Amino acid sequence: MITTADPIQAAIRPFRKASVNFWIAIGVLSAIVLVGIFAWVIQLRVGMGAAGYTDRSFWAIYIADVVAFIGVSYGGAVVSAILLITGVSWRAPLARLSEGMAVVTVLIGAALIVPHLGRPDRLMNMFLQPNFKSPVFWDFVAITTYMLASFVFFLVPLIPDMAILLEEHPNELGKRRTTLYKFLSKGWIGSNKQHKTLHGAITILAILIIPLAVSVHSVLSWAFSLVSRPGWHESIWAPYFVIAALYSGVALVIIVTAAFRRGYHLEEFIHERHFIRLGFLMAALGATYLYLTFADILPGAYLGERGVSQVVFDTIAGKFAISFWLFIIAGGVAPIILVALPQTRNIWGIVIASVLVVIALWLKRLVMVIETAHYDRLTQSFGDYYHFTWIPIAITLAATAAIPLLLMLLFRVFPILAINEIQEAESEEEALQASKSTSMAMKASVGALILVAAVSAISIVGATPSVAAQDNISLTAITSGAKVTLTATVLNGTVPVVDAPVDFYESTKMFKPGTNPIPLGRELTDLNGIASLTYTSVVNGPKNVSVTYYADVEGEPAIASTNIDINGAISPYEERAPKLLAGAGQVLVKVLFTLVFIVFVTVIAQIVRLRRVMRLQ
Amino acid sequence: MLSEGVKRGNRKDLGLTPAGDPCVEEADLSRRNMLYGLGALGVASMSGALGLINYSEEAQAVATDSLEHQWCRVIDLRACTGERKCVSSCQTRHGLPPEQTWMRVLSWQDEVGKEFFMPVPCQMCENPPCLDVCPVSSTFRTPEGIVLVDQETCIGSRACMAACPYEARYFNWSKPAETNRMPAPSPNTPEFPKNQLGTVGKCVLCADRMPYTNELPSCVDACPNGVHYIGDFVTDVAVNGRKTVKLSTFLSENNAVRFKEELGTNPRTYYILGNGQPLGGPEGAVK
Repeated sequence: MITTADPIQAAIRPFRKASVNFWIAIGVLSAIVLVGIFAWVIQLRVGMGAAGYTDRSFWAIYIADVVAFIGVSYGGAVVSAILLITGVSWRAPLARLSEGMAVVTVLIGAALIVPHLGRPDRLMNMFLQPNFKSPVFWDFVAITTYMLASFVFFLVPLIPDMAILLEEHPNELGKRRTTLYKFLSKGWIGSNKQHKTLHGAITILAILIIPLAVSVHSVLSWAFSLVSRPGWHESIWAPYFVIAALYSGVALVIIVTAAFRRGYHLEEFIHERHFIRLGFLMAALGATYLYLTFADILPGAYLGERGVSQVVFDTIAGKFAISFWLFIIAGGVAPIILVALPQTRNIWGIVIASVLVVIALWLKRLVMVIETAHYDRLTQSFGDYYHFTWIPIAITLAATAAIPLLLMLLFRVFPILAINEIQEAESEEEALQASKSTSMAMKASVGALILVAAVSAISIVGATPSVAAQDNISLTAITSGAKVTLTATVLNGTVPVVDAPVDFYESTKMFKPGTNPIPLGRELTDLNGIASLTYTSVVNGPKNVSVTYYADVEGEPAIASTNIDINGAISPYEERAPKLLAGAGQVLVKVLFTLVFIVFVTVIAQIVRLRRVMRLQ
Repeated sequence: MLSEGVKRGNRKDLGLTPAGDPCVEEADLSRRNMLYGLGALGVASMSGALGLINYSEEAQAVATDSLEHQWCRVIDLRACTGERKCVSSCQTRHGLPPEQTWMRVLSWQDEVGKEFFMPVPCQMCENPPCLDVCPVSSTFRTPEGIVLVDQETCIGSRACMAACPYEARYFNWSKPAETNRMPAPSPNTPEFPKNQLGTVGKCVLCADRMPYTNELPSCVDACPNGVHYIGDFVTDVAVNGRKTVKLSTFLSENNAVRFKEELGTNPRTYYILGNGQPLGGPEGAVK
C-alpha cells in the first residue's frame, strides 16, 4: 500500500510549537520521575530495608524491573532489525519508533540497576576490580555492548533523514536542531555510493544487534541460573528470558506505536495492518512463552525433589498461585485470543492485548525472582517474603513514566518517522523488487546464525624419669625421619605394672600460648610394663612428647616427657584438585573478551566507513 | 529537482561516477586496508590484554605454596543443647543487630519429641560459590582458607547471597547502629569488619585472632558444651577451648560428614552426628 502522505511533514510536525497538552504531559511525567528519584534518595539514606528487602528477599522488585525494562528494549530490536534483514518492507514506518524505544528502555533498564545496588557509589569497582567469573560482571559487559550497538543502530539511519530535513525545511528546524543535524549528517549528499554504504552499515548493525540482544537476556538469566537455588538453577532459563524479552518487547512496540500514532497523527503511515502483523508476531511469541513455561515447570514438578517441587507447588498452588494464573490467563491466553478472534483483531483489541502482556510479564518476573529468593535452603521452607513499600513502587512508576517522557523528548529532537526508509520502501513496492531483498536477507540471516553460534560457544634422646606416688613412668622416644616410636615403661618400684592404660601426647604450638598436647592414643602395658606407640609427626621442629598414666581414677597422673626434634615431616594436608572445567572457564573468558572486542570494532567500523564516504564527496 | 537527488542518490542528476568506477574501487580498497590495520592493531592490543586475565589466579597459586595453616571447623552435634551462646557472643563481638546472625542454629523435633540442634556458620568452602559470582572481587579467600568480604569495595549486588547454598550471608538493610564493638584489636579490615549500610556481611571465623594461639574464635570460646572446634589441617590439630584433638583421627573416628557435600563446594566445616539426626534436619526446621 502506498501512502500519498508526506512523511517529512509528519516527522517535522513535533518540532513545531508544542500544544498545551504536550507540556502538561511532559510536566506530569517529569513529576512522576522526580517522585521516583526522591524515593531513591530516601532509600539511599535509610537503607534498602525501607524498600521492603530482608535477608530472605534479597533480590526482588528492582531486579525484576531491570529484566522487564531491558526485556522490552529487545522488542525494538526485533521489529527493526529482524524485520529489516528478512526484508519486510512494512517495517519502515515503525522503524524509528521501535529503535527509539529500544534505546530509551535499555537506558532506563540499565539505570534501574542503581537502586538495586546497596552501594551504587562504588559502581566504578566494576572497572577497577572486575571478576571475570561473575555473571553479574558479564551482565554489565553485555548491557554496555548492546547499549552502544542500539544507540548506533538508532543514529545511523537518521543521517539521510537529517540531510533531507536540512535541505527541505531549513527554516523549521530551529537553531539547535540545525547545528546538531549539520554536525551529524555533514557530508551526506545522498549519492548512490553513500546509500550503498549506509545500507551495508545498517544491515551489519541489524545482524549484530540480534545476537547482542540474545546475549543480554541470556546473561541476565545466568545471574539467576548459575546459582544452586531451586527454581533458578534451570538450563531453560536463558532461552526462556530471550523469548520473554521478545514477547513483552513486541507488546510495548505496539503500545508505543499506538500512542504516538494517535498523539502525533501518524494514521496515514501506520495502519491497522501494522498492528495486526505485530499482533500475530506477539501471539506466536506468547504461545512459545506458554510452552516454555510448561517445559520449565514440568521436570521439577514430576520428580518431586525437595526444593524444586516446593517452589513449583508454591508458584502454581500456593502463595503465588493467584499471580501465576493471572499471568497465564491475562498474559498468555487472553492476548492470543484477542489476536485470534476476528472481532477483536483490531487496533483496540491488539493494544489491550499488549497492555495485558507487558503488565503480566512484569508480574511473572517478579514472581520468578521473589519465589525462589525467599526459599531458605537451610530450613527447606519459605521465609518471609517480599513486602512492597511505597519506595520501590515509586521508582518502578518513575521508570515507567520515563519511557514516554524520554520518547517525547527524543522525537522533539529527531524525526519520528524514518523518512528515507519510508520513501525507499515505497519505491521498492513500486518496482516490486521483492526477490532481490530476499537474497540479501538470506545472507544476513546466515551471518546472524554464525554470530549466534559463535557467542554460545573456559628426628635417641635421654629419658627424664618423673616421680609418681607409687607407680612411676618413664618415656623414651626414637625418631626416624618423621616416624616416632614412643616407649613408656610403668613400674611400681621395680615391679612392672601390667595392663596399665597409658596415654601418649605430642605437643603443638597451635591454639594455645606455649605448648598444647595433642592426644595420640592409648596403649596398654605388657608383661614387662612396657607400652609403645608409633606415629608419624606432621610438623617439623622441636617438640615435646609426653605420656600419662592414671593409677587411680581420682588423683594426679604419673607423667613423663621428653623432647624430640622432627625433620622431614609431611603434613597430611593436600590441596584439592580444582573444580572440573575450571580451565575451560579461563578459555571462555578469553573467547568472550575477543567477541566483545570484535563487536565493538565492528560497530565503530560502521561509523568510520560512513564518515569516510561522507567525507569523500 | 535537488531534493529528489538527495533522497534517491540519483547519479545522473548529480553527475557522479558509476558504481564500477576505479575511483570508487580505490576508496573501497583503502577502506579495507584501514579496517585490516584496525583489526591488526586490535589483535595486538587484545592479546596483550588477555595475558593479564590470569594474573590474579597465578598470584593466588604462589601464595598457597607456602602454607602454614589451613583452618577448618568441626561441629560436634552430640554436645549441642541449643543454648545459642555461640550466636550471641558472635553478635556481641561483631556488633550485629538482633536480626543479623552470622551463625544460625537450626532446631527441630522428631516424632518422640526429642530436640535436635544444628549450628550453621559459614562453611568456609574451598570452592566458594559466593566468591565466583561477586562482580567486583570483594569476596576473597585467604591463602589459609577463610572466605572474607572487603567491606570497602562491596557494591551490594547480593549476588553472593543468591549463590551461598548455606544462606550464610547477611545484608545491612538499614544503617547499623553504633554498637559497642569489642575493644578493637584491629581497625576496619575484612578480618574484623565494621558493618556499613548497603554491604554484605558474613562469619569471618574471627580471623583477626589468627593464628588463634592467644584467643579462639568467639563461638568456640562461648560454647559451654564444647560443640565448636577450630582446626588446622596442616598441623592436624583441633581444639574446642578445653580439649585438643588430633584432627584427622577425630574426624575419621567420629564419622564426620560435611553439609551439602553433593554441591561440590568442598566445605571446610565438618559435622559429627551421633544422635541419629539427619544433617540439615527435616523440611521446615526453625532457625
